[in-house]
Amino acid sequence: MDSVLIIQSLISGIMMGMVYALLGVGFSLTWGVMHVIHISHAAFGLLGAYLAYSLLQYFGVDPVVSAAVSVPLLFLVACGVYQLLIRPITKAKEVIVASMILTFGLAIILENVMVLIWKADPRVLTPTYASGALIVGPFYFQYPHLVGFSLSIVGITAIYLFLKKTYTGMAVRAAWQQPEATQLYGVNLYRISMITFALAVSTAGAGGISLALLNSFEPHSHNLWLIYLFLVVIVGGVGNVIGTAMAGLIIGVITGLSMAFLPYQWVNLVTFGLLMIFLIFRPHGLFKQGV
Amino acid sequence: MKGKRMKGFSLLMTIAVLCGLMLTVPAAAIGAGKPIVIGGSLPLTGEFAETGQWIERGMRFWAEGINAKGGLLGRPVEFKIYDDQSNVGKAVTFAEKAITVDKVDLLFGGYPGTAARAVMPVAEKHKVVYVSMGGHMKSFQQGYTYSFGAPPLMGEWWYEGFFQWLATIPANQRPKRAAVYTINNPVGLALQDSIDRWTKKLNIQVAINEKYNSPLADATSMIVKAKQMNCDIIFANGFFPDGVTTMKAAKALDYNPKAIVQGVGSVVPAWIKELGADGDFVFSGTSLYNKLNYPGNDKLNAYVKTKYNLDGYPLYFGFGYAWMQTIEQAVTGAKSLDQTKIRDWLKTHKVDTIAGPMTFDKKGLPAPINFCTQIINGKVELIWPKNIRTKEPVYPKPAWKK
Amino acid sequence: MQKYRLVAIAILIVMLAAFPFLEPEVYYLSFMFSLFMYVVLASSWNFIGGYTGYLSFGHAAFFGIGAFATAKAASMLELTPFLTILASIPAGALAALVALIVGYPCLKIRGPYFSVVTICFAFVVELTVKNIEFLGGAEGIWLKFMDIPEKLSRSILYEVMLLLMIVTLSVAWWLDRSRFGAGLRAIRSDEEVAETMAIPTAKIKIQAFVLSAFFPGIAGGLFAYYLTYIHADVVFNINISILIVLMAMFGGGGTWLGPIIGAVILTVVNEGLSTFAQAEIARIIYGALFIVVTIFMPNGIIDFFRKKGSS
Repeated sequence: MDSVLIIQSLISGIMMGMVYALLGVGFSLTWGVMHVIHISHAAFGLLGAYLAYSLLQYFGVDPVVSAAVSVPLLFLVACGVYQLLIRPITKAKEVIVASMILTFGLAIILENVMVLIWKADPRVLTPTYASGALIVGPFYFQYPHLVGFSLSIVGITAIYLFLKKTYTGMAVRAAWQQPEATQLYGVNLYRISMITFALAVSTAGAGGISLALLNSFEPHSHNLWLIYLFLVVIVGGVGNVIGTAMAGLIIGVITGLSMAFLPYQWVNLVTFGLLMIFLIFRPHGLFKQGV
Repeated sequence: MKGKRMKGFSLLMTIAVLCGLMLTVPAAAIGAGKPIVIGGSLPLTGEFAETGQWIERGMRFWAEGINAKGGLLGRPVEFKIYDDQSNVGKAVTFAEKAITVDKVDLLFGGYPGTAARAVMPVAEKHKVVYVSMGGHMKSFQQGYTYSFGAPPLMGEWWYEGFFQWLATIPANQRPKRAAVYTINNPVGLALQDSIDRWTKKLNIQVAINEKYNSPLADATSMIVKAKQMNCDIIFANGFFPDGVTTMKAAKALDYNPKAIVQGVGSVVPAWIKELGADGDFVFSGTSLYNKLNYPGNDKLNAYVKTKYNLDGYPLYFGFGYAWMQTIEQAVTGAKSLDQTKIRDWLKTHKVDTIAGPMTFDKKGLPAPINFCTQIINGKVELIWPKNIRTKEPVYPKPAWKK
Repeated sequence: MQKYRLVAIAILIVMLAAFPFLEPEVYYLSFMFSLFMYVVLASSWNFIGGYTGYLSFGHAAFFGIGAFATAKAASMLELTPFLTILASIPAGALAALVALIVGYPCLKIRGPYFSVVTICFAFVVELTVKNIEFLGGAEGIWLKFMDIPEKLSRSILYEVMLLLMIVTLSVAWWLDRSRFGAGLRAIRSDEEVAETMAIPTAKIKIQAFVLSAFFPGIAGGLFAYYLTYIHADVVFNINISILIVLMAMFGGGGTWLGPIIGAVILTVVNEGLSTFAQAEIARIIYGALFIVVTIFMPNGIIDFFRKKGSS
């Protein structure tokens, strides 16, 4: 086992893990702040990927640039989804359960609408740099990985700064910590929730584009993506932005190392097994819950 | 409290009654002059939707053709296709529904291999002819007599043509060390079978022989290993997503083996369409091929050109069509819709399909297929058997264009 | 009231049991078989997920363990059909044993973290089966046919699954009004408070988990025989795990009737849609069903009707 293989595996593993983190950070936020488990989160991410695909295919728009179009678009769509579908169930006895069932239905709808629009054939996002790499000594930094990684850093930092530095962001954090008290101060919880939800969905769009740069995608791919982001979010601690990023890093390291040391047949098993053991010993994720 | 429970209970009873009502929907009466109904299920939504939809298109194109000619046995044909949602359990239930409730005259084949493996016993128990791609060699060794692969998708045969061609080039130009990465499922195991046989015969050292479980999120370390071990041929025995991931990593890491051999990933139209020049020079097998010189292929190609703007019909479109051709000839030959007569006719006669003439052995299989394909300049070309070659193979593979 | 209800249930059971004697087509037997199966799965899941609120998203693991254990025993020991069906009981016991071993550390984990551990667990089991040839491997396992007419063999499986459903529902019925069930409900509303009330929460959680794995294990064994060929992709499918949860929650978790209603509605609607509508449209309607029902009945169907009944 030589160091080149190990380091190379780590490089791509970590970048991949960060892409999962970007896909997951919004999911973590909706769950933490609103108690909504948004099953169609990854489906919205996939929608972002398909939009980027069409923009690249027909107008030659680079996927990173197209994020500038699809992210605001998804924000608006998500505002509508919140008002129409999510808001009515916030009065349920168990919002978590109700939201899971509802958004599961939404995911099925989105998936099949995507089949109707884009067909079921698999797609690959291939900008000119799709299979190039930055070569540093013996190591290769693949451009799609680099782009996804950068998008992820930018996206997660933006969310973090929004929560820490803006008035709305602070209101979101307050609403998460003490919903009743926050309302007393005249903060409109519904508006806060809507913004959180829409923001989360738009990061999913960016995450979807990043992931589509790494792997091919089909309308049903969101099911798989959902599993990845679930893991990242849980390891990082629900509602914890920095935690999610760290979790992406850790999962990347685990995958990278196991790809280097283990027979591939056992990689997935070991990853899931380690996560299981990890959760048994740290039953609240790596970091504390909280925004 | 009791009132509430009663309420719930009456709800349960209502549902039970509704269920009962659903079950009494009468089965369609069948008689002479009525259409011949061909039924079964395909994965039209979910994980395998893409393939399922191509098979359906191929089948429907066949039906258009035969109905224009006046039908089968003088009766028009009609499909009753259920969507099994890529769920094998549902594929079995729907096969039973087609056979016992719809009382279809003929059954059609399904996808993927696991579904075919589960539906083959259903066909056998009900004594109904089942023409499909099957589930590789193991499924045809179970002693079923009503199942036919016409043509089958046979992992064990998939690389036969490739190796036969490889054997013809001078030994010093052949690859010396192979990296074999195989998806851990029935297709993968079947593909591995022929690699084991032939690498021994051709004295190619298998330096890496590993299986992986899907999904394959990243192929970087696989390519690094292959590069470090100086493997000059790589077998990527997988599907489209893992194939794409492997190809992208190979290019990014500038890995240039003499040959890249793909499992069943490169045979879907998306490979050429999505990967473009990066998908070039990949070897693979096939069960049928759109440039074969058998009657019908031109017609299919013209159709997919106008309808889907594709040069040459996709493999699974061809499968759907070829299975139907087989059934058509068996029914016409047996002059009957009696399943056992159709089966016996198939066991003793030759059928001519777009994939060529076929006769079936005891297992329901034709003679081993040995087509080898290579993607050259964005087109799938046939390079083996030599006498029907459409283009000279490109070997060794040129270095990646950066 | 009590008497009438018992009589009605008895009549329903007799009707269901008599159904195969009307010589229905095989499909109806198969469809009812899968309907009963999902009732068994959703109701058993409810023991842990519905009553205690520990949402297990890995219940397909127990179903799959039962399926593979039965198939392996049948093919290795060349069991007769009768013994194969019986073998599903020890297979269920094996699933329960696995639940005991896994449940001990995992049930200490709460909320969403528990859900994710169960997802991981299901993948670990699936991949173990796939990677180890002896357990079935990536090739899967074939079973022998019953050497009897198809209608008879499907009728037998129908009756056995019906029996399993009746047993499962009886246990569910008992649990719903037992002290055990009350303890589980207390865990759902507040585990700390339950502990202070001297409810042995750790113990009854594991008991519920083991019980909720046992019946799916048996169902898996019967399903293996029903399918004749099983593969890890089929019986360990995460979609099964998710579907079970949705069925129970859709009807109303933590109630006796909820999972039954959820399983019946979702199975029947899904089957009906496949018959009447274009594939994608059918799926869209199916998805819309979840949305509409949740918006109008956010606490499950049962809760909605109970409220209506009492108002």
